[in-house]
Amino acid sequence: MKEAQKQSPDCAAWLDEHGDYLFKFAVFRLRDQTAAEDVLQETFLAALKAYENFQGRGSERTWLVGILKHKITDHFRRVTREAPIGEDVDEASEHTELFRDSGQWTGHWDPNHAPTDWHATPFELVERDDFWRVFNDCLSPLPQRTASVFTLREVDGLKSEEICEMLNISTNNLWVMLHRARLHLRNCIEVNWFKRTER
Amino acid sequence: MALKVYDKLKHSVRYFLLRRLPACQQTVEMISQSMERKLTLRESVNLKLHLWVCAWCQWYLEHLHIIRDAARAKAADAPDLTSGPALSAEARERIKKRLTGQN
Repeated sequence: MKEAQKQSPDCAAWLDEHGDYLFKFAVFRLRDQTAAEDVLQETFLAALKAYENFQGRGSERTWLVGILKHKITDHFRRVTREAPIGEDVDEASEHTELFRDSGQWTGHWDPNHAPTDWHATPFELVERDDFWRVFNDCLSPLPQRTASVFTLREVDGLKSEEICEMLNISTNNLWVMLHRARLHLRNCIEVNWFKRTER
Repeated sequence: MALKVYDKLKHSVRYFLLRRLPACQQTVEMISQSMERKLTLRESVNLKLHLWVCAWCQWYLEHLHIIRDAARAKAADAPDLTSGPALSAEARERIKKRLTGQN
């Protein structure tokens, strides 16, 4: 009985059943379709190898998502390993234009760039595809490592220490990158989504 | 009359605090840090006072949390809700071939 189950899984069926789900999962985090396809292929290959160990323990999809997460992490590690950190933490990417640079209110918000009321809840935003398009477009211009760090922290909810260890960066650099990413993303989303859409 | 005095007083307190506390540029950095670690007492008092008198930074804080909560909620059930790009037919075939060892 058990023997019959141990045969290799039906790969075609795997792809049809979980391919789109896993692909979207990866694209949301990597924001790059080619990279997502690569990661997906690596996931299925690894799954094929490890299939015997899995053998019906829990849901197939949960198991595959677990492998995919590892592969995505590997990808982040790979792309950030080569990139020099300078770009992520140097002063050029500080967004000083959002704040006044002279007068008695130096360092306070420039009224043209100051945050406004969004009148939105996270719950509503989750279902707005156009919001997520803007979200992705806004993350794209960030340095690779900064965007990866932001995704790991704010999307996947990893702890600071885990991210530092994974990408081999200092806590201080992590905080600088997260701050830059948030400052940029919040502003970009406000300009491109909240101020543009008639809702 | 009393209202006028109150308004004037409020304005003065606000002005006083904004001039003496760390400016918005430092405050938004502190807001980001507050999402990563426990602030020291001094940092935390400065941040609270600044937020008390600065609606812009209040919104900033609110927005960062909206973005975080939305992103995590989206991540939890993203693929089922998204109408984003699906896996292309070519990529699907290519991966299938790799998996079945025909290539």
